[in-house]
Amino acid sequence: MFAHIFRYRLKCLLRDRETIFWTLVFPLILAVLFNMAFSNLNKVEGFSPIDIAVVDNRQYQEDQYFKMTLKEVSQGDDRLFNLVVVSEDEANKLLNENSIAGYIVVEDSVKLVVNQTGIEQSIIKSFLDNYIQTLSAVNSILTLNPAGGQELFNELGNRYQYIREVPIAKAEPNNILLYFYSLIAMACLYGSFFGMREINDTQPNITPLAARINTAPVHKLKLFIYSMSASILIHITEIFILLLFLRFVINVDFGTRTVYVILTAIVGSVVGNAFGAFISATVKKDENLKIGISICVSMVGSFLSGMMYQNMKYIVAKKMPLLSYLNPVNLLTDAFYCLYYYDSLEKYALNMSILLIFILAFCSGIYLMVRRRKYASI
Amino acid sequence: MPVFKLCFKILKKNMFLMTMYIVIFIVVSIIMAFASANEQKNLSSFTQEKRNIVFITEDSSPLVEGLKQELGKIANFVDIPDQTEALQDALYFRVVTYVLRIPRGFTEAFMRGEDVQVEKTVAPASYGNLYIDLTVDKYLNTARLYVNQLENLSLESLVERLRQDLSQSTVTELGRVHNNTGSNAYLKYYYNYLPYSLINILIFGMAELAIVFNNSDLRKRNACSPLSSKSMNLQYMLANVVFALLSWFITVAVCFALNFKKSLNMSTVYYMLNFFVFAICAATMSFMLGNLVNRGAITAVSNVVSLGLSFISGVFVPQEFIGSYVLKVASFTPTYWYVYTNDRIAELTQFDFEKFKYVLPGMLIQLCFALAFFSVAMVIAKKKRLS
Repeated sequence: MFAHIFRYRLKCLLRDRETIFWTLVFPLILAVLFNMAFSNLNKVEGFSPIDIAVVDNRQYQEDQYFKMTLKEVSQGDDRLFNLVVVSEDEANKLLNENSIAGYIVVEDSVKLVVNQTGIEQSIIKSFLDNYIQTLSAVNSILTLNPAGGQELFNELGNRYQYIREVPIAKAEPNNILLYFYSLIAMACLYGSFFGMREINDTQPNITPLAARINTAPVHKLKLFIYSMSASILIHITEIFILLLFLRFVINVDFGTRTVYVILTAIVGSVVGNAFGAFISATVKKDENLKIGISICVSMVGSFLSGMMYQNMKYIVAKKMPLLSYLNPVNLLTDAFYCLYYYDSLEKYALNMSILLIFILAFCSGIYLMVRRRKYASI
Repeated sequence: MPVFKLCFKILKKNMFLMTMYIVIFIVVSIIMAFASANEQKNLSSFTQEKRNIVFITEDSSPLVEGLKQELGKIANFVDIPDQTEALQDALYFRVVTYVLRIPRGFTEAFMRGEDVQVEKTVAPASYGNLYIDLTVDKYLNTARLYVNQLENLSLESLVERLRQDLSQSTVTELGRVHNNTGSNAYLKYYYNYLPYSLINILIFGMAELAIVFNNSDLRKRNACSPLSSKSMNLQYMLANVVFALLSWFITVAVCFALNFKKSLNMSTVYYMLNFFVFAICAATMSFMLGNLVNRGAITAVSNVVSLGLSFISGVFVPQEFIGSYVLKVASFTPTYWYVYTNDRIAELTQFDFEKFKYVLPGMLIQLCFALAFFSVAMVIAKKKRLS
């Protein structure tokens, strides 16, 4: 009996192109899009020089050292600035036309004029701050040791790198990974489409197929479990395809604990299926509403776990920690990230146990609601 | 106008799902707009918000103290025990974004002129960390100058001199016409996120209409009605246009409702205009797609198209963070030009005709897209009618 139902259910589900699209093709498309949009986030993009002007006045012409410094950083391929030397009126005009990010006036001290505050302006200001601070140091060194002139100027050109980045554990923290992990979590929850369909196909008031099946002399619970296993098998396979695609085509790093990653994917898929079945059993209205609710939960869940906006995850963790433990998408995302990031499995185990509790709750909910349902007349 | 009325009856029937989509999209757009605007504000103002960092030192000396004081100007120090797990947690949940560790014997080696380094561990993608890096590098490089030049400088006086040197800063002046991007960032981000919602809503509604009207039985029935096909088509078009206008209006109205004060300026008018141009483009595109899909595929198409366009052309991730080859591909989509124009509007400080010319090309390109979509839609519609 099992083999028969299982086989036909597989065939039946595989021919449902819409569900296959949402559970397999859609996450794959999203993975490609994520890769296109985020591949540059962690890299330092080629820095493009900032357009600035300096006002051509007497003080500037006399300040040889400043002139030299500015000239130095405005030359070559990896220059910091594109520099023009103009009159004050001209500089103002350029600034108002947005052709330059800001202009520098040398008076008693160095002054920066800008129209807005932005990254470029901050860089100019940092550069100028650094210049006058170094100048101040040079002046005080020269008063103490007037002989050191030439040597000192030579040394100004060498800047040492005093900071070394050390990863805290074997894995480097990587934000982009979280996007991909939450994508897998979303794909897992999309398993709800399968779960939903399974329940629909046992409810004669929803589909004619269910009406036909209900007349068959088979134990309903067994029937449901058999066909549900077909659903879960298909969905787990889909999630594996997604994992393989992410790992080998997009090169997403899952850490070294492959067995646990697979286990997480399986649990995630079961959560998704159970969730869908639960919604389908609870909501007795039409199918559109069921689909609406399940999309809504998985999308809002993904959003709260940072799939669209990364900081959302931290906002939730800080302001409403409970919510981050009630959100299955977040739990799954965290489970994957824990495997990658932490050396110990403590956090991972916590996330997984909550997920298992979810599965238990959904299953008992389904059982209580679906059992012994009778249809007097349809 | 029976056809026009029918169209709105069909739309009304799908009201529930559409409203649900609208509400979800708008809530998401709003949260994202507010959050990104805040981030942008922190990123761009000269007065940096203080970052939370952990300062661990295995070496105590006036030099290290001095460095800590200097860092105190731009950072708050958080006490977290020096244990891997605790630090990992703190970085993971963004309690801190930077852990700085001064190794044992640092000062001594530094004063001897040896190559020494401090160690940092950071949470990724937090741009404010750059300022911590800069401060540490500047402090130690300046100290290095003193140490190399003056042989018998005591540590205390070195630190004192460094404190004086580093307290200097550039005078900054805001120009006459200054544009406070911080407060306008909200508008820019809100409008940048809108295409995602709008494309979804429009494809959804228009495909629904097209599917009903493309039903061949219904078309045959309509053909024998006393209404001329010209009038019928015009009414159908009109319904589509009104629907697009309504969607445009609702999304813009939400922007006003949320932040009336910030929305009352010239740039809003420009944003609205640009968004209007985009709405025309999105409407023609949806009209075209609506003629192509069948009922089962509506949600799939609307999601794939809206997400695809949004991701590659800078709706979700700002264009400056997207790789150049992706942007090249994206420049063949109207959303790219919409976001491009929005970014240009955000730069504007004056709103005369000269400046209008600066944002005009992007809008014209969108109109060209609209024209292309419309022509393709017409060809498809004609083919469908003849088949």
